[in-house]
Amino acid sequence: MKRRSNCNEFPRRAPRGACLLAAAVFASLLGARLAAEDKPAAPADAPTVEQIVQKTNYVSYYLGKDGRAKVKMTVTDKQGQQRQKEMVLLRWDAQEPKATDAKTADFQAGDAKFTGEQKFFVYFKSPPDDNKTTFLVWKHLDKDDDRWLYLPNLDLLKRIAGSDKRTSFVGSHFFYEDVSGRNVDADKHELVKTTDTYYVLRNTPKDTASAEFAYYEMYILKSNFLVAYTMYYDGNGKKYRTYTVNQWDKDAAFGYPVVKKATMQDDNLGGNTVLEYEEIRFNIDVPESLFTERFLKRTPYKFLE
Amino acid sequence: MQFGHRIVERSLDHYKAVIAVSIAVTVLVALAAAMPSLLPRAIPWLHGIEVDTDPENMLSADEPVRVFHDEMKRRMGLHDMVVVGVVREDDPKGVFTPSALRKITELTDFAAKLDGDTEFGRRYGLKPGQRVLQPDIISPSRVDTVEPLPGNAISMHWLMKTPPATQAEAGKILAAARRIPFLKGTMVSDDGKAVALYLPITEKKISYQVYRALQQKAAELGGPEQFHVTGLPVAEDTFGVEMFIQMAISAPLAMAIIFFLMMVFFRKLVLVLSPMIVALMSVIITMGSLIVAGFPIHIMSSMIPIFIMPISVLDSVHIISEFFEKYQATKDRRATIQAVMDELFTPMLYTSLTSAAGFASLALTPIPPVQVFGLFVGAGVMVAWVLTMMFIPAFVMFIPARTLENFGAKFDPSHGHQDAVTRLGRFLKRLGGGTYREAKPILVAGAVVMAVAAWGISRININDNPIKWFSPAHPIRVADRVLNRHFGGTYMAYLAMEYDEPPFEARDFAGELVGRAKRRAESIRELADAVAAKAPVLASGAADAYAFFDALKTAARPDVDRTDDEHLSAWNAMDKFLDRESARYDELMGGTDKFDQAKTPALLADRMKAFRETAAIALDRVARAAENAADAKSRPELLDRVETSWAVGMFQSLAIAHRTDETDRAAEAAASALLAEERQRSEVFKRPDVLAHMRGLAKALIDVGVVGKTNVLTDIVETVNRDLHGGDERYLVVPPTRKAVGSCITQFTSGNRPYDLDHFVTRDFRTASMWVQLTSGDNRDMQKVIDAAAAYLRDHHAPVTLSHKWFGLTYINVIWQDKMVTGMLESFAGSFLVVLLMMIILYRSALWGLLSMIPLTVTIAAIYGAVGILGKDYDMPTAVLSSLTLGLAVDFAIHFLSRGQVLYARLGSWEKTAPAVFGEPARAITRNIIIIAAGFLPLLLAPLVPYQTVGSLLATILLASGVGTLLLLPALIRVLEKRLFRARAKVMGVTCNCATCVVSAVVLTAAVAINAYQFFAIRITTLTWVSLAAVPVLALLCGRLSRRTKCALQPPAEEVPHETPVEL
Repeated sequence: MKRRSNCNEFPRRAPRGACLLAAAVFASLLGARLAAEDKPAAPADAPTVEQIVQKTNYVSYYLGKDGRAKVKMTVTDKQGQQRQKEMVLLRWDAQEPKATDAKTADFQAGDAKFTGEQKFFVYFKSPPDDNKTTFLVWKHLDKDDDRWLYLPNLDLLKRIAGSDKRTSFVGSHFFYEDVSGRNVDADKHELVKTTDTYYVLRNTPKDTASAEFAYYEMYILKSNFLVAYTMYYDGNGKKYRTYTVNQWDKDAAFGYPVVKKATMQDDNLGGNTVLEYEEIRFNIDVPESLFTERFLKRTPYKFLE
Repeated sequence: MQFGHRIVERSLDHYKAVIAVSIAVTVLVALAAAMPSLLPRAIPWLHGIEVDTDPENMLSADEPVRVFHDEMKRRMGLHDMVVVGVVREDDPKGVFTPSALRKITELTDFAAKLDGDTEFGRRYGLKPGQRVLQPDIISPSRVDTVEPLPGNAISMHWLMKTPPATQAEAGKILAAARRIPFLKGTMVSDDGKAVALYLPITEKKISYQVYRALQQKAAELGGPEQFHVTGLPVAEDTFGVEMFIQMAISAPLAMAIIFFLMMVFFRKLVLVLSPMIVALMSVIITMGSLIVAGFPIHIMSSMIPIFIMPISVLDSVHIISEFFEKYQATKDRRATIQAVMDELFTPMLYTSLTSAAGFASLALTPIPPVQVFGLFVGAGVMVAWVLTMMFIPAFVMFIPARTLENFGAKFDPSHGHQDAVTRLGRFLKRLGGGTYREAKPILVAGAVVMAVAAWGISRININDNPIKWFSPAHPIRVADRVLNRHFGGTYMAYLAMEYDEPPFEARDFAGELVGRAKRRAESIRELADAVAAKAPVLASGAADAYAFFDALKTAARPDVDRTDDEHLSAWNAMDKFLDRESARYDELMGGTDKFDQAKTPALLADRMKAFRETAAIALDRVARAAENAADAKSRPELLDRVETSWAVGMFQSLAIAHRTDETDRAAEAAASALLAEERQRSEVFKRPDVLAHMRGLAKALIDVGVVGKTNVLTDIVETVNRDLHGGDERYLVVPPTRKAVGSCITQFTSGNRPYDLDHFVTRDFRTASMWVQLTSGDNRDMQKVIDAAAAYLRDHHAPVTLSHKWFGLTYINVIWQDKMVTGMLESFAGSFLVVLLMMIILYRSALWGLLSMIPLTVTIAAIYGAVGILGKDYDMPTAVLSSLTLGLAVDFAIHFLSRGQVLYARLGSWEKTAPAVFGEPARAITRNIIIIAAGFLPLLLAPLVPYQTVGSLLATILLASGVGTLLLLPALIRVLEKRLFRARAKVMGVTCNCATCVVSAVVLTAAVAINAYQFFAIRITTLTWVSLAAVPVLALLCGRLSRRTKCALQPPAEEVPHETPVEL
């Protein structure tokens, strides 16, 4: 019999939906060379809540110094109508003086924080109306993100200012925050339980007015700190929004755990959005200068194809 | 009559059993109907009481217009909505103050939590799965806005994320909301004095729970703002609740008044009790059966008791009246009741049959609630008849003789009757004399009334509006007025526009595609040449390669405000080429990234040439592939085949030339882009010209006057376009290219509420819907809008073939009204003919038959004439009352004529008969008129307008048919005396008199034709021909039949007892 591939599918029996706070699109850009790969942590050296939070955040958003992926987004609305978008994403991390290896070492040491600023570049390939549309995000931790948008059909380049992070990401069921990462300091975290497979974290916003949820629970794989499920609950205690990683893989070059396919389902809105990742690559040396307004109008094909 | 006589005799023999069985049946039916409600699980197969106040159900569920309505609602993600209006009129700042906006936010958040899946929602009576659909809520705190900022920036955010702290901020929110066409006049009034919250709900039937919850919350929030909760679903549910109150109060009140008046007339409780019991039992049995049979109680069927009661009392009053007159002559209750019943059997049978037939004919109207109503009233009339025939005689047997000691008219052998004693008697006596002396003036007056009525009918105004079923002071009507004053209208209708794609012709399409590929290659060539020509000049002005390419890109770009899709696509291809070249500038320059003002443009010109040539090859491959695929079955198949085959040829030729590089990629992209555009060709609602067409149509509708606001995809595209251009109002237009429209739509769906788009267009962009807000729910106003749309579309053809179809509740109301008006007219015509036929058979004479229809005809004419003259709308209750007229007016005529015939036979001339007829028979008729008319006066106090209409029209019907019977009939008999009575003794059967036979045949044919037309929907022309052929055949048959030996000579004495309707 052939060796089982390292491509993982989450079992269906897991709590219906489960989710990760962020991840989705950019989660795929991360990855981690995890030395202690599949060995579950022994009870004796079980990580603290703080360590779980930081490691998860690292795995979700901060691995590698940069990355790229091709993403196919399928939005299904409550009437069952579907629309697809195809985009290429580039990520660049403010290096916080440390190189990739140092970051990995910090991760393994367990007490480091990963909260640096990041930049994202998105190029839309399809639908045809969106072809050549580009989008730039400078993620900030202590203030609203900066975003720029270029619409070739109208020849308009706009800076999008003061925008809420908890709003729809390009019309999908994902929020910008799901995609670019929620500040770990915005929530209080508690470890609800530890199963054979998961750490289950409950996160409650410190400022209740800042988010539409009352709290959310994350199911984090003990083996590699990848968030497998996140469920959001409203003020009535009703679960209304679920993120599920349908499939993940290990990056061939660096061994990072990467999400290949993830679904966000919103019961209030109806329908869901599925993201599928291809051509995921890390540490491609994408220059910071590319994440500027001038490249919105001048497509950097070199990093996109 | 033998049969009637026997029934009464049996009932009298077994009077205890009759009473016991009647009561037992009534109680059983009542129990069966009430059980499921009282003990829900006791007998699972029984149907409980269900209430249906949904005007949609005026049409059956499979009616095409409803199927389409439901389908479109599903496809466009539309839901029924509860609307909350928050209004403050005494403050110039209106509701845009920090405190009012805080209340609005609180109320919105409260509404959003009404979810039956949670404890909170269940507290307000919601069940799992039932909820307010919170993402679709339209409220200042739930919608988003795009704010232009200095420095080419925009801010996309919630209109009011948190309630403002200061008045200045509140004012800003109003200003921002007013900038958004979708919200202005829909969510916010122009003066800021009112805000409307739209709360979509999962299903209509929870609107009452939501309504109550919101009322509670609004009361808690307090003034000075007023909160109006309304919306069609609320109106319907509230109507249901009030309908029950109405049934519970006015029906018993009516009974009480009838009872009181009967006491005044007959002064004997025990005897008066019996008609009341009969009426009550008839109502219980009928309504009980309706419930047990599983029919919901609809606004129509809720009126069944009100219709059955007068009709069942009608017969009883005749019996008691007669009993009252005759009892003292014999003092034998059995003999008296038997005699009374013998005399009244035939008229009662016929009155009941005609009433039942009249109502049953409603079953042919294509409106389910009206069908149920007709059938059950018809059945109820027959139940009442059976009970009257059996229960009343049996009941009389229960009355001890001594209780009747002083009952009834004192018998005076010298006069026979007490005509002159009572005031009523004296009045009728004089009236009778008058009709004899003044017959001709009366008939002339009648003719004048008919003429005026005809004029009135011509002015009749067909209109209905379910909101107007509430009286003007009702909170729902108040809310309706207030909100329609402030907003563009709360009555929603939708116009669906669907692309009728012409049938796919592969050869034609392939041909067009070849043309477009050639055109694209040409456009790219032109642009490449133009850019290449400018390159040297641009290079001389550029400091470095980056600036040079920037200048090239700018030079290549068309003016996006004026260009077309073709040039935009050519530019897109060119721009990609330039981006690729600039990215590998060092390669272009042979290994250096130095900028050379002379060399660089020259080298680039070579590349440009290669690019446009390769692009031309690629596009030519596409064209050839299209020609090869010209046998494809569908456009997608053809494009798929082109997609897979064109590149193969391309790569082969490129491989031979060893030229696969960046330039070729740019050229290939041009061909791929063309194919992608082809795939979008059926997305017609992205076309600027189609959007302009919709804008024109929307404007035409606004011009009607009753449309306060329209919302259409065009508005969305225009708004996004303006906001992307820094809020510049000059950009509140549709951009000139399909692609730019597509970008606007993408931007809209990148906001907080992407799903709002679904309400206006489907994702394939082949179906769009226009929201039309009317300030009036009157059907005639909706009709004006429909006509205006049709007129606009006649004069302005859409750039592509579109089908336009209306949906929405306001439109559905028009459809069922249409059906009701024609349906009622047809079923009335049908039942009129059926009753006429019955009358001809009853009297064995066409003349007598026609005579008996006179009061009915005059009554109908008078009522609808009055409705027309008074300008009252001809609405649902008004239409239905025509069948009640049929029931009542014919009743009076039958009693009058039948008794007249009997008396005439005894007295020999009309001169002597008239006073007699104006004795007891006229008194019975008059008493009926008074009792029933007065009995329904309480309906005038009802808060629901349909009941008021029934109350007032009932009085009018009774008055008009009473006048018709007591004035016109005697006057006509006086004039036609010879003709009417000459043949009486001779003519025995309908078929024996040739004229009567022919008239019957014509009436029969017409009745069959009309009913067949309604029921089987046979085309009217077919029916006309069949009918025209049937008439001469029947006439010939009549001729034959009337010459039969049986008809030759009839000694009157032998035949009369069996054949004539009334015993001598």
